[in-house]
Amino acid sequence: MTDPVLSAEKVSRSFGPIQVLFDIDFDLCPGEVHALIGENGAGKSTMMKILGGYLDPTGGGLRMDGKPVSFADHRQAEAAGVIMIHQEFNLALQLTVEQNMFLGRELTRGPFLDHAAMQAESRRLLEALNCPLDPRLRISEISVPNRQMVEIARAMGRNAKVLIMDEPTAVLTGRETEILLDQIDRLRANGTAILYTSHKLDEIARIADRITVLRDGHLVAHASAADMTPDQMAEAMVGRELSDLFPEKNVAQTETVLEVENLTVPGHVRNASFTLRRGEVLGVAGLVGAGRTELMEGVVGLRNATGTVRVMGKPLPGGSVLAAREAGLVYLTEDRKDKGLLLGKSLRENLTLLALDKFTKVRIDKAAEDRALTKAFTDFDIRAGDREMHAGNLSGGNQQKLLLAKTMLADPDIVIIDEPTRGIDIGTKQQIYQFISRLAAEGKSVIVVSSELTEVMGLANRVMVMGRGYIAGELEGDAITENAILQLAMKKQDEEAVPA
Amino acid sequence: MVATRGIDALVVLPFESEPLTSPVQAVAEQGIWVTVVDRGLTVEGIEDLYVAGDNSGFGQLAGEYFVENLDEGDNIVVFRGIPTTIDNERVDAFTAALDGSGINILDMQHGNWNRDDSFTVMQDFLSRFDDIDAVWASDDDMAIGVLAAIEQADRQDEMWVVGGAGMKEIIGRIRDGDPQLPANVSYPPAQISTAIELTALGLVSDTPVSGRFIIGSQLITPENAEQFYFEDSPF
Amino acid sequence: MTDATTTTPPRRMRLNLNVLGPLLAMVALIIIGATLNLSFLSAENLTNVAARSAFIGIIAVGMTFVITAGGIDLSVGAMAAFVAGVMIMVMNSLVPVMGAGVPLVLVGMAVALVVGIAAGLLNGVLISKVGIEAFIVTLGTMGIYRSLVTWLADGGTLSLDFALRGVYRPVYYDGILGLSWPIIVFAIVAIIGELAMRHTAFGRHCAAIGANEQVATYSAVKVARVRMATYAVLGMLVGLATIMYVPRLGSASGNTGVLWELEAIAAVIIGGTVLKGGFGRVWGTVVGVLILSLIGNILNLASIVSPYLNGAIQGVIVILAVVLQRERWSTTWKTWSPRAGSTRWSFFPSKASL
Repeated sequence: MTDPVLSAEKVSRSFGPIQVLFDIDFDLCPGEVHALIGENGAGKSTMMKILGGYLDPTGGGLRMDGKPVSFADHRQAEAAGVIMIHQEFNLALQLTVEQNMFLGRELTRGPFLDHAAMQAESRRLLEALNCPLDPRLRISEISVPNRQMVEIARAMGRNAKVLIMDEPTAVLTGRETEILLDQIDRLRANGTAILYTSHKLDEIARIADRITVLRDGHLVAHASAADMTPDQMAEAMVGRELSDLFPEKNVAQTETVLEVENLTVPGHVRNASFTLRRGEVLGVAGLVGAGRTELMEGVVGLRNATGTVRVMGKPLPGGSVLAAREAGLVYLTEDRKDKGLLLGKSLRENLTLLALDKFTKVRIDKAAEDRALTKAFTDFDIRAGDREMHAGNLSGGNQQKLLLAKTMLADPDIVIIDEPTRGIDIGTKQQIYQFISRLAAEGKSVIVVSSELTEVMGLANRVMVMGRGYIAGELEGDAITENAILQLAMKKQDEEAVPA
Repeated sequence: MVATRGIDALVVLPFESEPLTSPVQAVAEQGIWVTVVDRGLTVEGIEDLYVAGDNSGFGQLAGEYFVENLDEGDNIVVFRGIPTTIDNERVDAFTAALDGSGINILDMQHGNWNRDDSFTVMQDFLSRFDDIDAVWASDDDMAIGVLAAIEQADRQDEMWVVGGAGMKEIIGRIRDGDPQLPANVSYPPAQISTAIELTALGLVSDTPVSGRFIIGSQLITPENAEQFYFEDSPF
Repeated sequence: MTDATTTTPPRRMRLNLNVLGPLLAMVALIIIGATLNLSFLSAENLTNVAARSAFIGIIAVGMTFVITAGGIDLSVGAMAAFVAGVMIMVMNSLVPVMGAGVPLVLVGMAVALVVGIAAGLLNGVLISKVGIEAFIVTLGTMGIYRSLVTWLADGGTLSLDFALRGVYRPVYYDGILGLSWPIIVFAIVAIIGELAMRHTAFGRHCAAIGANEQVATYSAVKVARVRMATYAVLGMLVGLATIMYVPRLGSASGNTGVLWELEAIAAVIIGGTVLKGGFGRVWGTVVGVLILSLIGNILNLASIVSPYLNGAIQGVIVILAVVLQRERWSTTWKTWSPRAGSTRWSFFPSKASL
């Protein structure tokens, strides 16, 4: 193996009195993908930030090409060819793709910007990623997976020697992930050193050459990827053997609790009809852009829609989230950071926001809110260092649990959960799956929208597959297979164009 | 901009002299008659006609009234307007008139020709000074604020107030012999109409009307107040 | 679960310092004032300062809600002048019908409240229903109200009927227990405002909308309605402030309420409310208003600085307050990304290794 281009020696890091990394050795070699895995809070992010120049180690040090190096900030690291792609995008929403890709290193001709050259270069980099986006679009106008592609294209445009990728596929669909992994293969062949993190362990098995596992800030395993199965990775991460990820499925009752008839969400979904029974878990699968989220937002009144939605037989007035909530129907967004939680507000305020009227006569009963928070901590196993901390300071998994707790406080009969486990670790995933199963057992009904097929297959009694803008078909019981879902999702898409 | 409308004469009261000088100069250079009212331009000789109130006389008349009606050692406070040339001319002339009289000016603050500001400043003067014999409010809007503050502190018998500009309400009270308001200083507010009349005259006749016309300030007392009271004025 | 309830002392202390900031500034000003001039601490002077704070103060309490919900209202000064103008004209015109008595004063008060609410609702509808930027809408209505009052007054001053002034005068100058009515009304408005901000769903919803409108929408908050309500409440408070203002001098003109909007906004920000929205505190606004009034009062009482520089001193204080505020946000919430180890994640009982 070649010599490492960037290596960390006995790196430690503390925040105040709390140590989060303990003497970690880690290196990145040219032409190699080194996966760094661990549960949320294991210290992956801190490790990546130290390598990328965002944080200083409090112990140990870095070497670049064998020589000791200390990055003053991430700009210096980038100048040295070490580029980190963040999970939270670093893109200016109101600027175009091209402007973002060249932000801070604009090409000029004389005193003027050379738009033609920048556009051509942007196009080239994006096409290399199989992502034929118009560079003149604003970031706010493009989808989340495309934003991820722009981030990656931008890093490639900067001729990275070392690329640090923080969960790049968390928001991508299976096909998009495949394109990205192919691209990483190409980068590896060109001699780039790549640090890769993901919660999707089969992805790790597919792409990584070497694997390092962190747990609670300690390096607990280091092996060649060929020597580690996904199950072994998971066990190393959580420190014990994982029992079956998905709980036993319940049997749905016969009573229909939700009927959606001919729902059309202009520009996204046309004439969708489906029903949901008491105690049922309905999985909704489909490619990104199929209109799954838009359909569900239309159902609960977050989007303008025509058609009928009946809850327990009673029609719901359109356009009112409050009316849906009062009828017992709630929607849990896929975008917990922008639409789900107030990151700069306390846990308590977040918890009760949806069901605030239950805590209010004229005054808000803060004692009751506090009791609700204590109960949520127990019921949903939310781990917070401090009751008064802001929701933004929670780890992703705990944020998701807080969002669940917030939603359940409204005491709904029907819960629509969009991407229940996006970007959270396997231990928390298991808890959330158990929670969904328990809801169904208690006689509530759940719709799970997910891009992870295993999740849909593992949880749902019935799976509804969406093509581009409408329901392509349903599968029940033993008919739910990966192959059947994919066939439904792809078939319709090729036959018909985007709905009006 | 104005000149494109094809006018023959311009009557202008520059709120601030400096910024308006060159545009007005441009108008004058097209051969259009220019009359400037009250505030002079910074370059001399642009205008055909200058009509102005006598601001120095305004301050001087008030100052002389204070000297006549107060004794050596008496205390007064002074309200200034918005910081401008006019205000400076008035206040300089006022303090010059007081020179050597032995009257103490306790403090001067800006009431900004505004009732609310003057009310506040007078409240603070009343808290700060136990002995005030008279107030030069220099403007009737400020005088109204000052009077309200004095009334609130119940010190009406202790001091009188001289305003300025001949506001209807104040002139009415002088005419009726209000002991708190013994006098006022004004130059006729009809300055602009005078200026327009003179301008029109300059355009239609051969009478030489160009030059400077300074309208003298006058002291208004209960004796002559009636002739300064204009029922229909909004001021 | 025990570690979930433990608190981290350093963060607490930082917060406390921030909470105390405006209060410390006010105490410092009071000490400076008392040192410079003994009459500063007289009951007369302190009531004067409190009473003159009342107009801006009542408006600033309403402004706190508007800003907390992510909005702004530049029209309040002009609106106050307009409300005062309409109120005076209506009252004057009704003197021959109703006579100059208490009933007519009550009618005038009702007119002020109704006109204020209507003006606020107009802003609110244009902003939350039509969807125009708050800055632009209220910049527009500011111009409209300012022109209207100048027009109503024919460029001069609208004065309240002399007989009515006598009846109405006590509303500004009298009071109970040595406190004049403006102070009492300001105090009541401030207390209700503080309760509403901290202890009602309305206050919580304002903060949620200002922090992240989308989250509020997804959490079943009626965003448009709450936003409209903040402007309507502000309009009503402008009406209330006008009710206290008119009896002071009994007049209104094109100069009434000039720059009140900026003073109110400055007071809100000095008090610790975030200009971008998402966090507001009414008691801070009250302190902010008092700080601004105290600066003017001290400068009048002491005349140590050229009066030309009064504005500069106020400006420095406003900027200092905002700098402090920025410090706070950068220390408490922007550092969340490295997930400081206080939320150490040990999900399952961990063995030492595999």
